[in-house]
Amino acid sequence: MASPNAADASSAPEPSKETSIIVPRAAKAHNGPPPESKEGIWLRRAAILSFWAVVVLLGLPVWWKTTAIYRAELPLQDMTDWAESKICKPVFPLRIAVESSISSHDAQQLVRLTQHAIDDLNEFSAHHLRLMPATSPYTANSSQEVIIDGTSIRSDDRDNALVIRMIQVETGETPRSQLQSYSPTLDVYYSASQLPAQSSTSSPLASFIAQELHTVFAEEQAQLAYLLAAQPGAQAARTKALSVEKYVELDRQSTKVLKYAPTYHLTFSLFSPSYTPSAWNIEAALRTYLSPLLESFSGISNFTVDSQVQLYATFSPSIHQPEFDEHLKAWTLRKEDLSAFVNAAEWPLSPSIGEGPTVNFILYVPDASQSPLLVKENAGNSWLIPQWGGVHILNVQNVSTTPNVLTAEDLVPAMHTFSDQLTVLFGLPQAPASLPLRISTLERVRAASLIFSASSTLGALAQVYQKMPSIPVPDNVAQSVDSTIAHLQQACHLLREGRFQGALEHARIAEVEAEKAFFERSMVGQVYFPDEHKVAVYLPLLGPVAVPLVMAALKELKGVLASARGR
Amino acid sequence: MKLSSALLPLLAAPFVAAEHTSNWAVLVGTSRFWFNYRHLANVLSLYRTVKRLGIPDSQIILMLPDDMACNPRNAFPGAVFNNADRALDLYGDNIEVDYRGYEVTVENFIRLMTDRWGEDTPRSKRLMTDERSNILVYMTGHGGNEFLKFQDAEEISAFDLADAFGQMWEKKRYHEMLFMIDTCQANTMYSKFYSPNILATGSSEIDQSSYSHHADQDVGVAVIDRYTYYNLEFLETQVRDPTSKLTMGDLFDSYDEAKIHSHPGIRYDLFEGGEQAARSKLIMDFFGNVQNIEVEGEKRNETQWRQELEAIERMINEAKRRHNESLSVHPQAQHVVEEAKPAQSLRRQGAAMVQEEQGWSKQIVGAAALVGCAVAWAAGSWLES
Repeated sequence: MASPNAADASSAPEPSKETSIIVPRAAKAHNGPPPESKEGIWLRRAAILSFWAVVVLLGLPVWWKTTAIYRAELPLQDMTDWAESKICKPVFPLRIAVESSISSHDAQQLVRLTQHAIDDLNEFSAHHLRLMPATSPYTANSSQEVIIDGTSIRSDDRDNALVIRMIQVETGETPRSQLQSYSPTLDVYYSASQLPAQSSTSSPLASFIAQELHTVFAEEQAQLAYLLAAQPGAQAARTKALSVEKYVELDRQSTKVLKYAPTYHLTFSLFSPSYTPSAWNIEAALRTYLSPLLESFSGISNFTVDSQVQLYATFSPSIHQPEFDEHLKAWTLRKEDLSAFVNAAEWPLSPSIGEGPTVNFILYVPDASQSPLLVKENAGNSWLIPQWGGVHILNVQNVSTTPNVLTAEDLVPAMHTFSDQLTVLFGLPQAPASLPLRISTLERVRAASLIFSASSTLGALAQVYQKMPSIPVPDNVAQSVDSTIAHLQQACHLLREGRFQGALEHARIAEVEAEKAFFERSMVGQVYFPDEHKVAVYLPLLGPVAVPLVMAALKELKGVLASARGR
Repeated sequence: MKLSSALLPLLAAPFVAAEHTSNWAVLVGTSRFWFNYRHLANVLSLYRTVKRLGIPDSQIILMLPDDMACNPRNAFPGAVFNNADRALDLYGDNIEVDYRGYEVTVENFIRLMTDRWGEDTPRSKRLMTDERSNILVYMTGHGGNEFLKFQDAEEISAFDLADAFGQMWEKKRYHEMLFMIDTCQANTMYSKFYSPNILATGSSEIDQSSYSHHADQDVGVAVIDRYTYYNLEFLETQVRDPTSKLTMGDLFDSYDEAKIHSHPGIRYDLFEGGEQAARSKLIMDFFGNVQNIEVEGEKRNETQWRQELEAIERMINEAKRRHNESLSVHPQAQHVVEEAKPAQSLRRQGAAMVQEEQGWSKQIVGAAALVGCAVAWAAGSWLES
């Protein structure tokens, strides 16, 4: 009880007099505490206030700042719109040049009539063919040009999907047409009398050309229609070009095709159950038989290649061992065992080489005691494993001994199989007969599918962003999203203009950027804290601090209120 | 034709969803130390089973937090057994562990499922699935209500797991998924899932423990858990080879609570087509590797193929020649490309700058805190005087 005295004495030199005066009164009210000095009250209030100030002005912002999750702004609406294909409706206007030796007036008339006929035939509005007379009229002697090898591609026709060469002939059945196998050229033979007259509104020649073009592009239309049908917001009308049978067939095909990647890694492996053959001249064989094909695909994807030889490769124990078939005079494998033929557990077919997905091509040389080895059902010796690669069993002709080294010539049948399998795995359409045309079809299909997949990735990212507020989103995600959208727009624009190569280029970049945005490594929503966990973390830490603070503030407020009321 | 086009929308949906083209397995043990031998044996048993049924190592992600085979307490060095008869060495001579020891963390597991890795992560450690992949996820360890412990150090909650699967679904990273978990109160772990096409099963209900099956006196600890043991028993005795036609329903029907000593749970409602569709799924759809092999019959003409190759080669040479020509004619095109690149790298620098700024702002906050303390102290001493 002496403390107020002592405190007052120390704080001021004079109050000794004061206290001595007050003493009798204090003695009277002995139960209550002595009243505080004004100074003491203010000091206490200042202390409480300063604590609160530190908590509110410093503690709260620091806590807020350190626990906040950084989330960059994303154009969510745009992303969703892309995913629902509201922004870009891909169209494929194909330019087809018509080269002819006839006068430009006649040519235009023919082109106009053919265009009408095509438009009548076309059921698939997104894909349409636009004919135009070639810029440089074709003047060479037509009868000699028939034997042209087709490799002389003019540099200005890059954007033309197909060139129609009108060749006037005197003999043979007319009109007839021939698609060049190695250049995007359709030769149409006609006789002079078949040219439409100036005033006519229809012409057998024009409708013939239209029908031919329709056939040539039927496969491409079906593929694109299939692709569009799988998209959200696809109208039923769009899919009219696609019959159910075709749909099922394309769906089956799509299960075989590799998922798109900018780079694929091809591994060619030689497996043998014994010690021979221990070498193969794979490099020469690949150079001769495969690299042309790979080069022609280089506009779509890149390829890296390696090879390996594995000796003493045994079958996995779970498959039936080959049986000898008297009828075929060969050892046979049952078809249902083929999926287990590749001994995944033992054979080193590692996927970790290179940056892209690995496509495996396996050449199996059976032991001399089990040769020839065939598939029981169709006596074939090769099969395709969807999305994975292919297998070819090489039965060496001379049964008694297996050679030590396989020459490039020995490898020809295998290379043939592998190149066929590669085209299937890569999704190259089987029709039409012209290879450049098939490759450019693949380019268009890939461009469209990449646009769709990048868009759907954007949509997925938008969904994740909205549904999971606890994952951080750094700025480079926003940048990637912006760049994806920019490239998608470019790609879509170029598609509309009919510049498919450029569209594919942009679609590829868009796909890469979209994947980069979605798979940003710092976006890991790792620790979900339920609310009770938060309480459990904060209470032991903040409770002991907060209780005196709050209680002191409440007590002081009460005192202030009481004194205000008392006054 | 008219009929078929009218039917198409009806037919299209089942066709799209009908097939998967690859199978993946993610097998996770989450506990360390010798007395948790049985959890590692669980995982290795499953690993052996899926490998036996044809999933290649490249499509199995195996997470083992401890190496029981090389544990100094192991009386059978280099071997792990899941049965007291010790008939089968699970370690064998060919086992590929993708994540081991301290790599088995909640973060790595979620990164694995959502594929959010740095660029240098090898492909063999990643889950490279797509919308046509079926995934088997098997987890075992010590857990509780809505959580599973990882290595006695951290835990994954049912919410985190559900979110990870949710992201996978958004990005179309699976076609169908079978989630199996053997831990105490296992069924709570899948209760928060919300993404479609997940079939989930667990060993025990909430407030129920999951028990070990038996101990090996020579190994000295329990060697396998009950739920996993009876799953394996079915898979080993009934599903003998990859051509098996048994369904998931058959597997679920084999669960006997009297033997397992807990109530295994099965969640069907997320699966498209509900209980019936889920039960009629083949076991091989999840435990085996589906390959719709295509045997090639007649082939294209070989001379035609050779001709084609030659023609392509000529075409390419022609294209190269043209490319070289155009290079010499239009050097500007090259220039544009070169200009575009620095712009990109500049932008990258921008990103780094932002981070730096963050660092600065943090430093400012720190400085402000220090100054605040100093001011408070000064004010206090001023008031005191």
